[in-house]
Amino acid sequence: MAEPAYTVASDGETTEEEKSSPAFPEIAIGIDIGTSQCCVAVWNGSQVELLKNTRNQKMMRSYVTFKNEIPSGGVSNQLSYEHEMFSGAAIFNMKRLVGRVDTDPVVHASKSLPFLVQTLDIGVRPFIAALVNNVWRSTTPEEVLAIFLLELRGMAEARLKRPIRNVVLTIPVSFSRFQLTRIERACAMAGLHVLRLMPEPTAVALLYAQQQQQVVHENMGSGSEKIALIFNMGAGYCDVAVTATAGGVSQIKALAGSAIGGEDILQNMMQHLLPESEKLFSSHGINEIKSMGLLRVATQDAIHKLSSQSSIQIDVDLGNGLKICKVIDREEFEAVNCKIFEKCESLIIQCLHDAKVEIDDLTDVILVGGCSYIPKIRNVLMSVCGRGELYKGMNPLEAAVCGAALEGAVASGVSDPFGNLDLLTIQATPLAVGIQADGNKFVPIIPRNTTMPARKELVFTTVHDHQIEALIIVYEGEGEKVEENHLLGYFKIMGIPPAPKGVPEINVCLDIDASNVLRALAGVIMPGSSHPALPLMEVRMPTVDDGHGWCAEALHRTYGSTLDLVTVQKKT
Amino acid sequence: MLASMFPLYKVSVPKSCPFDGHFNSKKSSNPRLKHRTTLIRCCQQRVGERERTRRRMKENYYELLGVSVDSNPQEIKEAYRKLQKKHHPDIAGQEGHEYTLLLNEAYGVLIREDLRRDYDASIGQVRFRRNVSASGLGYSSWRGPLRTQALFVDGNACIGCRECIHHASNTFVMDEATACARVKVQYGDDDQKIEVSVDSCPVNCIHWVDSEELPVLEFLIQPQPKEGHGVFGGGWERPTNVFMAAKAFAKQLKQEPASDFNQRNARATADEETPAQVEARINASMKIKMASFVRVWDFFKAAFSSGTIDGE
Repeated sequence: MAEPAYTVASDGETTEEEKSSPAFPEIAIGIDIGTSQCCVAVWNGSQVELLKNTRNQKMMRSYVTFKNEIPSGGVSNQLSYEHEMFSGAAIFNMKRLVGRVDTDPVVHASKSLPFLVQTLDIGVRPFIAALVNNVWRSTTPEEVLAIFLLELRGMAEARLKRPIRNVVLTIPVSFSRFQLTRIERACAMAGLHVLRLMPEPTAVALLYAQQQQQVVHENMGSGSEKIALIFNMGAGYCDVAVTATAGGVSQIKALAGSAIGGEDILQNMMQHLLPESEKLFSSHGINEIKSMGLLRVATQDAIHKLSSQSSIQIDVDLGNGLKICKVIDREEFEAVNCKIFEKCESLIIQCLHDAKVEIDDLTDVILVGGCSYIPKIRNVLMSVCGRGELYKGMNPLEAAVCGAALEGAVASGVSDPFGNLDLLTIQATPLAVGIQADGNKFVPIIPRNTTMPARKELVFTTVHDHQIEALIIVYEGEGEKVEENHLLGYFKIMGIPPAPKGVPEINVCLDIDASNVLRALAGVIMPGSSHPALPLMEVRMPTVDDGHGWCAEALHRTYGSTLDLVTVQKKT
Repeated sequence: MLASMFPLYKVSVPKSCPFDGHFNSKKSSNPRLKHRTTLIRCCQQRVGERERTRRRMKENYYELLGVSVDSNPQEIKEAYRKLQKKHHPDIAGQEGHEYTLLLNEAYGVLIREDLRRDYDASIGQVRFRRNVSASGLGYSSWRGPLRTQALFVDGNACIGCRECIHHASNTFVMDEATACARVKVQYGDDDQKIEVSVDSCPVNCIHWVDSEELPVLEFLIQPQPKEGHGVFGGGWERPTNVFMAAKAFAKQLKQEPASDFNQRNARATADEETPAQVEARINASMKIKMASFVRVWDFFKAAFSSGTIDGE
């Protein structure tokens, strides 16, 4: 562990030459960084192979410990995990924290973790620190991810005996584009180039497409279309997708996701076992951290056991005279977490609705992710989809990474003589993208669940007479008001020829390519003119950086409505 | 089928995407696309026109996907997947971007019954709207008040004798490209001159037609690029009997909104065709052809409207 913590080899934006000049088709590896566990897989020429670490494990805990100034991740030294967790030196759950501002409820929920998560509640990035030699050493989720990715990269390079540059990462559906840039940044810090960021259920869908393709090959069948619902719930996120697959093409019809997961279940249980836990642990002293860690481990263990047993005895000494001795049965567990299960149900219903698919049309229902072992989750899924049983052909913990590895091989241009890589995922946009107009309304230009690549344009116009500038503020999300959505970026169109309000036509075009790069283009046309009045603007989104929680408010304060736009009603 | 897709792709891609030059300048290895300075296109036109341009350039969705107008959703899906597997950027690289955009748009419309019906109607509707609004400004412009009768030269019969032009030079004009006479200005000369010119035609190819039918007739008589099959075909063609074609077209426009869906179903299931079905099928294939004609229509329209201004 003498090598430097990490090297910033390239930034997300400066990877153009990577795409254009592959000397040989380097097969991208697939990485599934889970909130709690992580694994790596690669197409080995005939099939997907999961890479094992030096301890011969496929699944590795996603955490990094800061100790004696040298950080080390959970790729190899798993044994120290629980011990480090009690000391405050281990940072984990990065995936729940990355790219979020400190007003985010998910960040607030992370304050009970056994390391320091400090918020000022003003829309900046939260302060995260690990306790090293009784000093709170600050870090960032990106840095922690990068350290971890670097270890994964080292492991993969050792196993595959070749340098690794290109990766396909799986990400939660509900990640905003800003969060995606943070993931890309972390990869760049670790010297990795992101070939694709795949929403987790779509990776599963690709694996499903491959399996169906193989079935067809074996049976010499006709290969009719199969529609599957994929439900993926891990420690940090819950995602749903509906895919239609035929002939190795997986077409994503709808996506839905939310930042709920096993972590929420765990926290609910901790709260249930020790109602005053939040207050007790708020001081983040060494003893409190230890108690917090002990409670975490005991609760986690209990939840795992409740998947196979109907009741469990919890007996844990938290120190400081605090003892918990309680019997929890499954009904109690389900009652405590009923809100989470309800949310899961509503996500499934929403996704089916968006996909315009009836439950009778579903060929298979696939359940993956760490939470797939919870009986209640299985029941919810089966009852919503009206099924007696779920799809069996997949390992719930490895499905996503296998799909990512397949995508890595496909996107690297590798072909397989047996047609095993004769695959394609046609992705859809998980969130709508649009701009602010008509006051503080969010006007979607590319709606949710639009097939990618996508390009759409809308025409806007000025709201004031002789308005010579207009502000284009790009948002992503589903809310009607801009505040409910994720800010992606903003730019100003200047030099609009003076004209009465409503006359200049401001054409805003959004373009998403297959690798999910979003560009915003804007141009101004004056009626009667055959040329655009100004050079077009092309802006790659997102442009916002840290502390973006402030930006929208600052823009509003500075400009008010002076640079506003309204939509032009379609002339029919 | 796929081979024939390519020419279409080349033609329609740069036109349909306003910012094309812009996007490809960075990544595209295709210099041909790069040099097209079409990025101002979308800004050149007014909204309504742009809408029409988009329609025109992206059609025909059926051709793009390589399916017939009466194909069922299953066939459309299969065709879409097949093409995606060839052109999706994951497989074809960044160059596949524009084409995939078109595919997605076409598929998105055709796979939804309601949108597809609207789209089917819109192929006709573009012309239908012109029928009404452009009754005075079609290919031939009008001098004086609108009349119920209009002049029309059947280009199939015309031998290019220039007799009519000689008698009524303000009304008729020689179309050098087709070597046929054509009406430039309706009633461009006084009634007597026109009568003489009509009578003087040795092959009687100058007809008095209903003014309402005129735009369709003038549209149909324009030679249109013929669909090629391998090394055969190509070139230009027009309906041999333009009056029959116009009648069929008009009829179809009337039927369309009401019974489009039912008709299509009937067409798909019936083995033996009734005369009405035969006609419907002919109409449908006519419609596909018409779609590709609109380009030419606009070109001529532009040429003529500028000519009118000069004339007046």
